[in-house]
Amino acid sequence: MSVDSNAFRDFRAVLDGLGSIAPGEILSDEERVVRAKKLFLEKLDGPMAVDLETCIHCGMCAEACHFFEATRDERYAPIQKLLPLRRFYRRELSPMRWLFRTFSRDITATDLETWRELVFDSCTVCGRCDMMCPMGINLSTMINVMREGLASAGLVPAELQQLQNEQRDNDSVFGVDTTRLLEVVDELGRLGIEVPLDKDQADVLVLTTAVDLLLFKDAFGATAKIMNQLGVDWTMQSRGFEAMNFGLLSGDDAAQKRVSAKIVEQAQSCSASIVLLPESGHAYQALRWEGANELGEALSFEVLTMAEFIARELQADRLKLRVPSNGGSVTYHDPCRLGRHGGVMEQPRQVLRSLGLELREADSHGRENYCCGGGCGEYVIKNSAPLRRKAFGIKRREFDEAAADTVVTSCASCRINLMIGADEAGWQKPIESLTEKVAANLAS
Amino acid sequence: MTLLDFARGPAMQWSLAILVFGVLWRLLGVVLIMGKKDLSKPRRNRMIVDGLATVATRSLPVHQFEKRIRFQHLSGYVWHIALFIAVLFSAPHIIFFESLLGIGWPHLPNSIILFFATIAMAVLIALLVRRTGHPVQRSISNADDYVSVVVVIIALVTGILATSHFGARYETLLAIHLLSVEALFIWFPFGKLMHTVFIFPARFQAGAAFGRKGVRA
Repeated sequence: MSVDSNAFRDFRAVLDGLGSIAPGEILSDEERVVRAKKLFLEKLDGPMAVDLETCIHCGMCAEACHFFEATRDERYAPIQKLLPLRRFYRRELSPMRWLFRTFSRDITATDLETWRELVFDSCTVCGRCDMMCPMGINLSTMINVMREGLASAGLVPAELQQLQNEQRDNDSVFGVDTTRLLEVVDELGRLGIEVPLDKDQADVLVLTTAVDLLLFKDAFGATAKIMNQLGVDWTMQSRGFEAMNFGLLSGDDAAQKRVSAKIVEQAQSCSASIVLLPESGHAYQALRWEGANELGEALSFEVLTMAEFIARELQADRLKLRVPSNGGSVTYHDPCRLGRHGGVMEQPRQVLRSLGLELREADSHGRENYCCGGGCGEYVIKNSAPLRRKAFGIKRREFDEAAADTVVTSCASCRINLMIGADEAGWQKPIESLTEKVAANLAS
Repeated sequence: MTLLDFARGPAMQWSLAILVFGVLWRLLGVVLIMGKKDLSKPRRNRMIVDGLATVATRSLPVHQFEKRIRFQHLSGYVWHIALFIAVLFSAPHIIFFESLLGIGWPHLPNSIILFFATIAMAVLIALLVRRTGHPVQRSISNADDYVSVVVVIIALVTGILATSHFGARYETLLAIHLLSVEALFIWFPFGKLMHTVFIFPARFQAGAAFGRKGVRA
């Protein structure tokens, strides 16, 4: 279950190489503002209006933010990240707009450029502030609208833009395409792990991510082992296996919709009743919670992430595990988009308990969990590296206090970010995949 | 017409009219901005229960948050409770409410009302001072944050003076208190005092939205 150190080094080199090309659209200042405002107008809805009317500027949201906690820099207060959107709302949509237009200025291109750093480099849209706000304001949804507004104004960080363009133009992510998938499937085949590709009909369509194929091949292999052990009728489509959605991460609606539409097409082509997502928080959010809304109709299949699929199979007594006599202790790191944003919190804990592991919770866990520090694509943004490093200190402190043998998570992005943080801090705790833990303990 | 007649008569009528019309205008304006139907399959379907649960429980932050916001949390409790007692259980206020609503209720002695009004005022002044000094609060504050607090503080101060008959003739103190409350009525629909209305739908929709994903908000 260890990660190949060469693969880890190579992957970090891939991350370091991003952003050297800055393929964002070249737009005039005026055009940027027009586009951002058009997007804000499209996206602002009744619930957001209620939220913007309700804020009392108490600033408590700052105390939920890992970046504020790590730096005490007031710019990182979540409500700060919304100020251009709030200004737009007040001047254009608010019932009191006639008054605000008199006393407040319009948003400018400089505002948008300033806020790019705040909503991309210094916010992982983790939603912890949503849980803190005494008014119940859903800040993260609106920060996402800020991201979308900046994306439409051509102000996505170069790294995210580059990956989104690659996914759109080359149908690959981090250079991982069908060829790479076939290589990994072949490698697994030599280990006796079969991956049934391109079946015409299957009950379950399994997706994976470029990160798994590059770095966490064991997690991919573990998924295949579990599926084969269960005897499930499953397949993977060699021309549509990618679950990552850089449209969601960059805030580009059209790009997000394109990726979701492709998955839906693949699922329909093999009549799958379940689409099983790999360990990826944002992929779950993009398809499970936003897919139908992006595409304008309910999905014809069920969307599950590995943690909830495994928990369900265990509960139904279809999946049998070996329970080691002394499995040790674990702390489970809740990926924000599976936990707070996704409702998958108890399932991974059920799985860990089924493995006979002692669960030692971090002080902040479940819906109050701290983000890994690099969520929502932030781990690819080079400018935010110093900030991520500081935020990792919070995770490290909480993990150390929990004093478990291992940290387990079910999101590859969280795992990478925690591994990078640990590597840079010289922190030795193993950071493992839930799926790999299960696959290593399948009853023969 | 004396100052008191003015405060009790046209000033009260106009300020109440602006209050009611302004609140309805602002509420209606927000209600007319439509929400979008969520097409994702809910994990659980009990939106009303989840929404109401968040309305009821969001004032009780969990341990992980509480330890970081203790001052604001406790001062919020003290200030709101003290204000409600001073406003709802003062004998002259109850007479006013009875004239508007047709129902009255028992009042508390003036000494107790004065105690709670002073507490409310002191906490509010402390929060105002904190706002000017706290880096986050200072950076996100606008004129509304200061005007709203000052308007309430003035109403409290004039109320304390009127109740204690201190500094001038009672009729004059009462007139000034009434005018300060009328200023509050006029400001109410324009500023953040409207959170007293919006807090309920805001909390409800948060509870319902997270609840459909299976998350307690």
